[in-house]
Amino acid sequence: MSTKAKTILRRILITVLVLYVIFLLGPIAGFDVPSIAKAIQADPRQLVQFIIVGVANGAILAIIALGYTMVYGIIELINFAHGDLYMWGVFSSLTILSLTGTLTTKDPVHIIWGIAVALIFAVVFCAVVNVAIERLAYRRLRNAPRLAPLISAIGMSFTLENIGLIWAQQSWIVPSFGTTGGASQKDYPDLLSRLFQGLGYNVNLLASSGLGLRLTIKDLLVIVLAGVLMISLRLFIQRTSLGKAMRATAQNRDAAKMLGIDIDRVISATFLIGGGLAGAAGLMAGLYNGTAWWFMGFRAGLFAFTAAVLGGIGNITGAMTGGFLIGLLASFSDGYLNARWTEAWVFAVLVLILLLRPTGLFGEQVGEKA
Amino acid sequence: MQRNIRSGVTFGIIAGFMTFIFGGWSVAIIGVLYGVGLGLSLGGRLKREAPLGMASQALPTAASAGGVLLVMSLIQNYIVAPAIGQFPADPSVVIPANLAGVLGGFIFTLITVALHGLPEKQERMGKLILLAVIVVAFPFVDTFARLNWLAQFIFALIFVILGMGLNIVVGYAGLLDLGYAAFFAIGAYTTGIFSSPQHNIYLNFWLVIWIAAAMAATFGLILGAPTLPLRGDYLAIVTLGFGEIIPVVFRNLTDVTIQDPLTCWIIPGITRLFGGQSGMACITLLSHMDVTAGERGINPIGRPYLPIIGMFTNAQPIPWYFLIIAIILLTIFLVNRLRASRLGRAWMAIREDQLAASQMGIDPVRTKLLAFAMGATFSGFAGAFYAAYISGIFPDVFDFSASILILCTVILGGMGNIYGVIVGGLVLLTADRLFLPALKDFLSGLLNHTVLPALASNPTLRAAVAQNANPILYRYLLFGLTLVIMMAVRPEGLIPSAQRRMELHEADEVPNAAASTSMKS
Repeated sequence: MSTKAKTILRRILITVLVLYVIFLLGPIAGFDVPSIAKAIQADPRQLVQFIIVGVANGAILAIIALGYTMVYGIIELINFAHGDLYMWGVFSSLTILSLTGTLTTKDPVHIIWGIAVALIFAVVFCAVVNVAIERLAYRRLRNAPRLAPLISAIGMSFTLENIGLIWAQQSWIVPSFGTTGGASQKDYPDLLSRLFQGLGYNVNLLASSGLGLRLTIKDLLVIVLAGVLMISLRLFIQRTSLGKAMRATAQNRDAAKMLGIDIDRVISATFLIGGGLAGAAGLMAGLYNGTAWWFMGFRAGLFAFTAAVLGGIGNITGAMTGGFLIGLLASFSDGYLNARWTEAWVFAVLVLILLLRPTGLFGEQVGEKA
Repeated sequence: MQRNIRSGVTFGIIAGFMTFIFGGWSVAIIGVLYGVGLGLSLGGRLKREAPLGMASQALPTAASAGGVLLVMSLIQNYIVAPAIGQFPADPSVVIPANLAGVLGGFIFTLITVALHGLPEKQERMGKLILLAVIVVAFPFVDTFARLNWLAQFIFALIFVILGMGLNIVVGYAGLLDLGYAAFFAIGAYTTGIFSSPQHNIYLNFWLVIWIAAAMAATFGLILGAPTLPLRGDYLAIVTLGFGEIIPVVFRNLTDVTIQDPLTCWIIPGITRLFGGQSGMACITLLSHMDVTAGERGINPIGRPYLPIIGMFTNAQPIPWYFLIIAIILLTIFLVNRLRASRLGRAWMAIREDQLAASQMGIDPVRTKLLAFAMGATFSGFAGAFYAAYISGIFPDVFDFSASILILCTVILGGMGNIYGVIVGGLVLLTADRLFLPALKDFLSGLLNHTVLPALASNPTLRAAVAQNANPILYRYLLFGLTLVIMMAVRPEGLIPSAQRRMELHEADEVPNAAASTSMKS
């Protein structure tokens, strides 16, 4: 037998073995093929419903993933704190909604300007915080060994998380946090549905179509907003001079410096934009999912990072695509496998991509940095 | 001279604040500990002469520190204690406790300083003996003074072992492992499964602790093998993910059914596709088995037994304390041997420059894998001890924050230096387990008796203050900040290894690189 045939045979054997193990142990984590097939057969409409939910959640993940991918593209740092910044986006917008009295009102005009103020505040707030984090924690470590900024980022993430925990119990600022302490999940009122009911619309856009599906205003708004953000970010990076400077810095920092680009300014701008996006994602996620929780940033951050890696880290289109794919995966896992194992499945995907195709779907080949 | 007096006063004030928070008999132990600390910091600075001369040099400093401590301790007894709602201390405690603390501090300062006057070999010996005396005497003093620190202090020691294990991975091999608590969990759950009513298996603790270590090492290999070829930052996030998944797994393994897929649905499915009926029997390996009991946790877990001491119990922490000290000594020995071995040098070579190391014939993946497995082994020991000590395990204990806490001890003490890690672990964990709860009691006492009545006219402010004056809430925040601040200010840690310091301050040393190379050699 030739060596080529041998390697092929070996690969087939390994694949069969891996598949067998997946089918053998998969049911523990909900991956039970016969029962999934049965569930899909019983109600195919459910599948479409899961796709809608998955795409909407994926849109939020995609926006968070943009922050990861932009920062990684420029300074090659996994900004662990980014997911928690998104959590701060949720809490800061919720706080503003509470302070403006939007949480309890039924007046559509009040809701609209309340959300607008909360959006602006969350975006500005998270953007400024992100820039401050870069200045305080990362800048001085730019030339240190790789481990140092990474540890700093982990510490920052932990810090933000636990400030969130303390934030979540300040019921003297936001009465709806209640007295259950900071660790419990807090309600984030479904203002969009309330707004459209107040205006006299049906919340479900497909209610009269007779398909028995549910596509709400919320779903549509989240998806459209994500699309708009992505297109404007692309335009910004392709067309403006700051965007050009970002691309140059990402390619070769030293060369960009020699050409007169102010590196510090470019990096600050990257963190500013990433932070603003996290703030926007926070408001959207709050309105969409209806909860605020101090620990939500961890999971979202892990998912969004997976999305960024899946799409090819450093690549904006890739991050968006990855976000939608991970959103779908999470939604299917919640629906058909077992919601308690969703994290494990998403994470398994991360490991698989890193092993099989570390450059992701759209990434270019990047060599190991010595 | 003045500077020494000033540092003596500083030590006295810090020790005094400790007595503010702990109160009662604590002054005795705090006195001895600050005495040793002051002696160590002073001894290195004083002019070297014969031991007695050194002691007489240190006399004014020791006296001033003791004086400050005495004054502050008395303030605690008669002013602070009533303000936080305790009874003013009884003279039968105040007099002996303060005497023991102040005199102990004074004497131990002098002894420790005097040690610095001995020849180098004897000086090291003397310090070791001093350390051994403190380590051995601590539990008995604790019991005698009814401080009840021991039970909590044992947790700190568990994290010292974990820190030493993680130090192999992060400090020696330079791999950022953010899910180290997973191996801790594996060690603990192995112990739980093999020595509890959960599966009606009751193995001896002395056997189970080895099984737990072996199991943790095996999982280190299994989890490490696919991920170690990745570059550093990807490795970090993958280990973070593992660390997050392992508690999820333990939480959810409550109803495990494993069936052979071929006989159960693949072949019957295919035959059904062709309209046939298959009479194949479905091979079931496990059916609805509750492996880990989910959120309820496994308990009770079997405990160690020794001939003379008998069964270890909750009520008697002293045997546990000496057991963990023994494990720590074993760990220190093994880690030191490992570090000096060929493998240990290979780890450091990989950390410095993987490319160069692999050119010299070191297999990077195998070396890293062994680092992972070795690191995991020690957390297996720690996990087994933990499970037996608590006599029950719950999935919440092993989440991300535990991994960060362990990482924090390594970073705070100094990556790559085992003694730094021990100090880091002790400082961080005693702060976490002893200092913060005591501070909480102190603050809540102060609030309830002094501050809140004064705020009665402003209910909003009163509620806000009452809610947030709980230092326990800020503990993880402090750990996060510790990481950030250490990285910014002193990335090599409190007690760094010489090599690491060089590496992390590479940038500062470029201008006089020639000087630093000559110093190295």
